[in-house]
Amino acid sequence: MFHLELLVVGLIWGAMYAMMALGLTLVYGLLRILHVAHAGVFALGAYAGVLTANATGSLWLAVPAAIGVAAAVGPLIYRFIYAPMLSRPPYVALIASIGLFIAMEDGFRLLFGPYGLPFDYNPWFVTTYSLGGISLNVVQIAMAVSTLVLAGAFGVFIAATRVGVAWRATVSDPQMAQSFGIDPVRVRYLNFAIGSAMAGAAGLLVGLLNNLVEPGMGAVVSYKGLAIIVLGGLGNVPGAVVASLILGVVESFGTVYLAAVLDRDAIAFAVLIAVLLIRPRGLFAPAR
Amino acid sequence: MRYSHHTPSLVKGLFLASAVALGGAASAADALRIGFHAPLTGFAAGDGKSSSLGAELAAEQINAAGGCDGRMVELVIYDDQAKADQAIPAANKLLGEGVKVAISGSYSGATRAAAGVFQKAGIPFISAYAIHPDITRTGDHVFRTSFMGEVQGRAGAKFVGEMLGHQRIVMITLNNDFGQSLATGFKQKAADFGIEIVSEYSYSIKDRQFGSIVAGVKRDAPDAIYASGYFFTAGPLVSQLRAGGVEAPIIGQEGYDTQHFIDIAKEAAEGVMITTSLDRDSEDPEMRAFIDAFEAKAGFPADMVAAATHTAVRVMCDAVARAGGDDPQAVRDALAATKDFATATGRISFNALGEIMKDVEIQVVKDGAYRHFASIHDPELLAPPSE
Amino acid sequence: MEAYILSLVVFGALNVMLALGLNMISGFCGQISLGHAAFYGTGAYAAALLSISGLPFAASLALGALVAGALGLVVGFATLRVREDFLAITTMGVGFLFLGFVRKQEWLGGEFGVAQIPSPLSPLGFAVLAVGGALAMVALSLHLRRSWMGEVFRAVAADEDAASTLGVDTARYKLWAFVLGTACAGFAGGIYAHVTGLIVPDAFDFIQSVTILAMVVVGGIGSTWGVLAGAVLLTLMPELFRFVNDYKLLIYGALLLAVMRWSPSGLAGLAALVRRALRSSPA
Repeated sequence: MFHLELLVVGLIWGAMYAMMALGLTLVYGLLRILHVAHAGVFALGAYAGVLTANATGSLWLAVPAAIGVAAAVGPLIYRFIYAPMLSRPPYVALIASIGLFIAMEDGFRLLFGPYGLPFDYNPWFVTTYSLGGISLNVVQIAMAVSTLVLAGAFGVFIAATRVGVAWRATVSDPQMAQSFGIDPVRVRYLNFAIGSAMAGAAGLLVGLLNNLVEPGMGAVVSYKGLAIIVLGGLGNVPGAVVASLILGVVESFGTVYLAAVLDRDAIAFAVLIAVLLIRPRGLFAPAR
Repeated sequence: MRYSHHTPSLVKGLFLASAVALGGAASAADALRIGFHAPLTGFAAGDGKSSSLGAELAAEQINAAGGCDGRMVELVIYDDQAKADQAIPAANKLLGEGVKVAISGSYSGATRAAAGVFQKAGIPFISAYAIHPDITRTGDHVFRTSFMGEVQGRAGAKFVGEMLGHQRIVMITLNNDFGQSLATGFKQKAADFGIEIVSEYSYSIKDRQFGSIVAGVKRDAPDAIYASGYFFTAGPLVSQLRAGGVEAPIIGQEGYDTQHFIDIAKEAAEGVMITTSLDRDSEDPEMRAFIDAFEAKAGFPADMVAAATHTAVRVMCDAVARAGGDDPQAVRDALAATKDFATATGRISFNALGEIMKDVEIQVVKDGAYRHFASIHDPELLAPPSE
Repeated sequence: MEAYILSLVVFGALNVMLALGLNMISGFCGQISLGHAAFYGTGAYAAALLSISGLPFAASLALGALVAGALGLVVGFATLRVREDFLAITTMGVGFLFLGFVRKQEWLGGEFGVAQIPSPLSPLGFAVLAVGGALAMVALSLHLRRSWMGEVFRAVAADEDAASTLGVDTARYKLWAFVLGTACAGFAGGIYAHVTGLIVPDAFDFIQSVTILAMVVVGGIGSTWGVLAGAVLLTLMPELFRFVNDYKLLIYGALLLAVMRWSPSGLAGLAALVRRALRSSPA
């Protein structure tokens, strides 16, 4: 029973990581950029959500606000920061991304205060359902469901729509795709919009789960997201989802059984290093 | 760079004017400049903000009442990001600006590093709320006006075991010096008060998701939970414990001691009890004045960090007044001789090491606010180390 | 004021050592590392414990560097097969593993770290030592770059596979880069421990690793003088902006972004641009 509960907790954590990691791995697959500032977009979504919810009294309005703001800002980051750097070595974009993330975090603190913002009214957190002795609140359920739905929808999008095929073609061979009349720049914008929308939704859900939206809330996912997409094979979308779930479950059991030896971050990275020592390119084949 | 404390309100202006008129000698030219470092940016910026607000309030109040020994108090505030490699240049910069007395409104690493600088320079230095045991061991110029973590942990054990009569306890410990020292103190005395520690979980300061710990606590079914943390970890922790169906009483410490904790945990915060040094229902005029004035200044209710820096500024000022000036050696001696000085966090006296000795307050969350629950007066149990 | 300058000189020189050490790994050899603070911390803890146990200061510093270099060798060896972005994230993991391990070790003081580390030198003494160490590393760095080893490093950085087909034992040189770079960090850590008198795990966190990498990249990855300038600039940044206490980090982040956006080869690239402009300008 206890272990089942740990497993469920771990899968929910994994779902949370997956919503972050999907966007990161999409960006990596397309542009070879470690997009640290994705975590800033995550926090931005949470802020858009909490400000909307507290101003309007409606959590439902917070959802489009979080997703919309994040989806708008993601492509802007591409246009004004990454696009001019694409021909540079990869660490240039990495450091720029870190700089942007630091500035965003501190911007949130200056604008909205260092203490963070709680939701005035958070009925989804306190409404719980009990399933076979395991009680889950609505936010946790939403986290799991939205990850399933998003990952599924994304799979369908890639496999069955024209834009999806264009996207896949651009990832595997940009020049070839271009010669077939696909505009790679449009694919990139789309890519950033979709990935950022997911990060914004994840930010809102995490904010609801903590009942706190704080300037530094992106810090943990900024580096753990990178660990996950590396574990899953850089740029590999299903790999990132599986790696997220593995890490979530490992952390869930680890924080109970290994807490005397290592903390949560160290447990996650111990797994990552162990895997990379055996499979230097991650669990699954990287894109391209 | 430097914050001015002359609030531009008319009332304040009149106050200052009359203070100057009455005090005669008081003028900005020979202001008493107190060096102050705090984490204004970085991960601890929330505490840095509270700690500088608390210190500023103390300075304003002292100035409004005629200054410190007739001199206006001026704080010289620098950011240290709660990091040692920022605190040492900041401390040296304060020295360079000619401050003769200094206060830390920061965390342990930064405070200990700055303490070394001030000790070497022979400048009296107060740590307002950093809890590392080695800070006061830096030397005879270093004092601390808050509880050591271990002392508070021991008080927690007495409260849980003896006063509440709970026996099977689960500990949830924050992985940093604060959490670790609380846990040490609690475990030291647990057996004496009939406490059996069923299990101990730990989490890092970055964690906000405690699902696995909640599952563990449910399995353990303890009589009570002793959980260390700050408002931003304790808020989510307490809400998640309650949402997970854990109903055992939760006992926290001064890290919880701010309205922000209650704002985050909301209904789940009801009934949470904490050991602290700030009594919201105190009849003591010092405490009352602080609690009311802080909320008026900050726009949110007082917290422990603000009370701690407020206390430190007042203790320093009292020592300067008794020393008859800011000659560092005289102020140090006056600080060491501080006896039963009334502050927002209780009556302050120092032992040979520069540690304080005072009662522990127990507060409980009731109807969305901290209220008085009990006090622990036990000089033997609460004695800090003296060397 | 003098003490303030001296303390800035000390931390500036420590940062120069850290950045030059990382530059040997990342700049000369092309192996981006996001975990350099772990070796800084290893040196700090080793030197502090040895010094407390009664070893002379100089010996503690040397052994601290040695222990850090040894850990560097182990990490380098273990990650030989891991390349590029995978390596960057692996080294980041090493940093987190180091921190998570240290936090839980009672013999390393756990969360309290190591306190009461002796302070054998005056502030001036520390400044002289740190600057001396930094200059020695500048010399080492320039020498490496010019020597045969530097040539090989460059080949490895440019194209590892091509280098190994040409019969270069790339593994050996990557390991050398790791050992030298991490030993530099360990040496800096030893000085840091004795300057601050207390070390806590948080001083060697991910942010510290990122800060060191930022110094290297802002200075101009691969260029010794550029990295030196980058380390000095980013050390002084927070001090220069002390008057805007509140906006310091915002400006720091914006600066990283701006340098990468408009001068991606860092200060070294900027200097080269200026030199070229001067040469071509009709005088």
